[in-house]
Amino acid sequence: MNVNAVPSSTVGEIGLMAAEAVRELALKATGGSKISTYVEGPSPLAWNELVEGGWDLAGIVENGEGATRRDLVEIAIAWGEQLIPLPFMLTIVAKRHSPASLETDAPLTMALPIVSLPSGRSYLPFGQLDGILLVRDPGGSTDGVHSIPAGQADDLALSLHGIEADEISALSPQVARDVAIVLVAECVGGARQLLADGVSFVGTREQFGQPIGSFQAIKHHLANALIAVELAESTTIWASVDDTVSAAVLLFAVDQCIKTAEIVVQVHGGLGFTWEMGLHFYLRHMMMVREMVPGLIQLATIE
Amino acid sequence: MHDSENPRESIEEFGARADTWLSTSIPPRWKSERGALSTSESDAIRRDWDRTLSEAGFAGLSLPKEFGGQGMGLAEEVAFHVLAAKAQAPDGLARIGKILTAPLLVRFGTVAQQARYLPKILNGEEIWCQGFSEPTAGSDLASIASRATRVSGGYHIRGRKTWTSFVQHADRCLMLVQTDEQAPRYKNLSLFLVDMRQAGVTVDDIRQISGAVHFAEVQFTDVFVSDDDRVGADGEGWKLAMSILSDERGGAEAATRYVEIRSDIDALLETCGDRPDLAAELSALDIRAEALRWHLSKVVDLEGEQGEAFLRAVSVLKVVWSELWQDVTRAGWRAGNPDDREHWRFQYLESRSASIYSGTNEIQRNIMAERVLGLPR
Repeated sequence: MNVNAVPSSTVGEIGLMAAEAVRELALKATGGSKISTYVEGPSPLAWNELVEGGWDLAGIVENGEGATRRDLVEIAIAWGEQLIPLPFMLTIVAKRHSPASLETDAPLTMALPIVSLPSGRSYLPFGQLDGILLVRDPGGSTDGVHSIPAGQADDLALSLHGIEADEISALSPQVARDVAIVLVAECVGGARQLLADGVSFVGTREQFGQPIGSFQAIKHHLANALIAVELAESTTIWASVDDTVSAAVLLFAVDQCIKTAEIVVQVHGGLGFTWEMGLHFYLRHMMMVREMVPGLIQLATIE
Repeated sequence: MHDSENPRESIEEFGARADTWLSTSIPPRWKSERGALSTSESDAIRRDWDRTLSEAGFAGLSLPKEFGGQGMGLAEEVAFHVLAAKAQAPDGLARIGKILTAPLLVRFGTVAQQARYLPKILNGEEIWCQGFSEPTAGSDLASIASRATRVSGGYHIRGRKTWTSFVQHADRCLMLVQTDEQAPRYKNLSLFLVDMRQAGVTVDDIRQISGAVHFAEVQFTDVFVSDDDRVGADGEGWKLAMSILSDERGGAEAATRYVEIRSDIDALLETCGDRPDLAAELSALDIRAEALRWHLSKVVDLEGEQGEAFLRAVSVLKVVWSELWQDVTRAGWRAGNPDDREHWRFQYLESRSASIYSGTNEIQRNIMAERVLGLPR
């Protein structure tokens, strides 16, 4: 019998609680200030606040008890909303899989494959951050944490403060899939925030003597953005409970996020393509994730 | 009734029970000879199916028990629609009564109306049609011109309704009519339960671009309706009609559509799955169909909360399935496979209606923007 026609995708207590907590921490830290004021600099939220709350350990599973991948998605969506420049989700995934990484409180990253990079070269999100450490073997062996190798700063996703370096992390299929899914889920959070920003902007921006949000052309743009955000979220949930999804499924989700960003840039008019408005920080982040997904899912599907 | 001794079955248990029942209850002729059945044979099977569902306790799944329903939720409603569609169960004739009239009467009907109509809706004895749209009132539904004028004990209705499904079988019509010429827009309409088996009702079929006939136009000439068959007060028609149109019936409809779309995509993959020129398009359609399924699953999971997240999720369903179906039928037709060209030609033309009926996709997007996102009117 197959009720999987209507599969359940309910999030657990851990996911709900951690998502709520990190959302609050992030909002408190930014105090509603514009993303362009903090995303390129040091994080407005101190790493210690996440560690002291124990939130970096939210993904740990002991004796079969703990966060599911679905829970990680919920946390990553909440975390992705404010685009705080910290490797929070990567650290959660590292500590979920690598006992060695539990021995430090430092923020952690991994060397992630990108298909278009030369062989042996990887992308290290947050590689420019002070005090960050590299997990080379997050599959669970005893290999410890390492300092970050020299590399070249990547200036596409400024929120990710990443570098390219001649470095490889041995990502197990489980780790690779977790990383891909939380990265995509962060994009969903970003898309959700962008949609809210778009809605708020068109409600106040006036042309022809009325808020532009009262024009049907704008309404239909934002309705399409709502559809995109909803489908992006549903697809990411699907990917979190079905171990067999292909890269194409996650790319579909990212593309829905990117579509949202494109629409929100459009409804902001001239402001939409200014650096200062800051919408591009989300879009750049999504572009980078889109580059990472195929390599990660390749690793996730290797036996 | 004995809920303490008989705890509510899980959705899995319900699904298993429904699936088992469906596997033995669908009339074999419906599955094996469907294409060869005459209209009257097919109608008889569909009418029987409503009765069969009711006898087996599968009618009114999400209606409260005290009104003859099963007291379950959207999850069971969606699961049953998916399983029934997969099992190729007949579509009954009682749909309008079940999804519109019954929930309306449960919320707003008098005790007498509930007692008179609900049992016969659920057991399929009386078939309902919906009289909302008119030739000059489509998306602008509030501009209804049909008029009910006062006569002794009730009203006489005059006017023309269109896009009416099931009208050739209908015993009753749930009808939105103007009762007060002077009252302001939205406060000039009333909602009636009209007897269709009386003089003054004439029906003209509407042939669609596919060649199929799913709808009709109906002329009402001094058709009587009693005071007892008005739902709510004079002038409350719009308010009541909107409250049932905007409820969660979208979930069950989308579930049925998912199964139909899935089976169309599977057919396409079977005949054209090895064609490199179509690989990217077919893969994209496949992912969109499964995204719809998981989205539906999210809607069901969010149902209990009935909060903003649920409203957002449910509001996009109709646009998502209708545009996906149109893209699937276009791909099927363009693929040009000789064995099923008739099927795809028909489906392509047929699917053009999906973005128009049940609230055009433009109106759907307005609703998302205004009621869900809160943009200014």
